[in-house]
Amino acid sequence: MAHRILIIDDEDDIREVAALSLETVAGWDVAVANSGAQGLVRAIEFKPEAILLDVMMPEMDGPSTFRELRKNPATARIPVVLLTAKVQPSDQRTFADLGVEAVLFKPFDPMTLATQIAEVLGWN
Amino acid sequence: MDAVQQANLTAALDRMWEQFLPQMRERVAALEVAAEAFASDRLSLEQHQAANAAAHKLAGVLGTFNLTRGTVLARELEVMYSRDGGPDPDLATKLAEIAAELRGIVENRK
Repeated sequence: MAHRILIIDDEDDIREVAALSLETVAGWDVAVANSGAQGLVRAIEFKPEAILLDVMMPEMDGPSTFRELRKNPATARIPVVLLTAKVQPSDQRTFADLGVEAVLFKPFDPMTLATQIAEVLGWN
Repeated sequence: MDAVQQANLTAALDRMWEQFLPQMRERVAALEVAAEAFASDRLSLEQHQAANAAAHKLAGVLGTFNLTRGTVLARELEVMYSRDGGPDPDLATKLAEIAAELRGIVENRK
């Protein structure tokens, strides 16, 4: 059975390439949201097995979105993988302290994104 | 992934590149404008913030389209524009040179 994953990213190029990659390469069912607020709604509707969450978004950023997901019993247990272009060690420490499953870095390779996500989530 | 899947994904990525090329160009333009303004000591706060955001977004996306050199350059600019107090005045020429190289990378992707 295909895995179900929700991508939350305000940048439409990144969001669409990631969705294309996960659908084409891995055959996963993918839903997308272009903001943290929309992502909270889609997470309840779509019931994903995991969420790929951008860090830098206007209004509600990735960490804030993650905290809101954790507050809601309907979404609290969904594994979250952060996707970020921030590579400074201080940023990485901040992400590690949040309690997400893993952090993946942009730019990603569309050919191997699904493999990377599957590995960090133990889906292999 | 088999060869057919790989070819299909590559073709789809090429189509997406064409779709998103206008916004790639806008981001590079923001870097060019900021570099020019900085060189003449007229960099506004808005131009500075736009350049920082454009560099961050380009750093995150260019490598995804197999433009690794573009990501390296954009990341270099992001560091310069993120510096407290703005870019180092000695690097005004460098800002313009990197923006120009990014323009070439974006315009010449095959």
